Amino acid sequence: MGGSKLDNRVRALRGARDQMTQQALADAVGVSRQTIIAIEQGRYSPSLEVALKIAQAFGEPVDRVFWFSQS
Amino acid sequence: MSNLSFHEKSAIGTLIAIWVIGILYFHSAWELWQAGQLQPASNFGLAAGLTVLLVIVLIAYHILIAVTAKPEEEDERDRVIAWRAGRIGGFILAFGVIGIVVQILLGGMFDDPLAGSPVLIANALMAVVFIATVLELVMTLIFYRRGI
Repeated sequence: MGGSKLDNRVRALRGARDQMTQQALADAVGVSRQTIIAIEQGRYSPSLEVALKIAQAFGEPVDRVFWFSQS
Repeated sequence: MSNLSFHEKSAIGTLIAIWVIGILYFHSAWELWQAGQLQPASNFGLAAGLTVLLVIVLIAYHILIAVTAKPEEEDERDRVIAWRAGRIGGFILAFGVIGIVVQILLGGMFDDPLAGSPVLIANALMAVVFIATVLELVMTLIFYRRGI
């Protein structure tokens, strides 16, 4: 996995869900709003548990929310 | 400050308070040492007084940030950051303490003033704790801002 980075489309999915707020997603997942911001900006790679909860909140499979991209 | 989490605000305030009071302590200890008045009793009084001041400042600051913004429960990112920054602080602390122990043992063989002075040993240990704590808090803030 050298040289790969975890990318995501959390922000795009929030936008597609009637502009779901970062706070609403944070509450649904059980993390702080700042953690959602850090995930969206690629400053934090969430645990499998949080990644699954985020995917569940959007009703998407986890690999359609998070994926590895070459950095 | 509104975009900062409770834990980030806590780290910023704690860093500033420890930095200011730590510098005040070491400056005062240095002045006492220069004047030849750095004795165990005066050193203890200085350390105890500034420790009480630090505790009061930190309690007041945390009450202030708790009333201005809802305190949040620690989440996994806070725990990972605390663990990584704590590891760095712990490494610095261990490295510093071992360095002082070596200095005491070697200094004892060569009449180093540190080896024969409990006050100097205490201050050397305080300096190591100060540096380790400041670095841990700086790393905490870097991890919050730059990411982990």
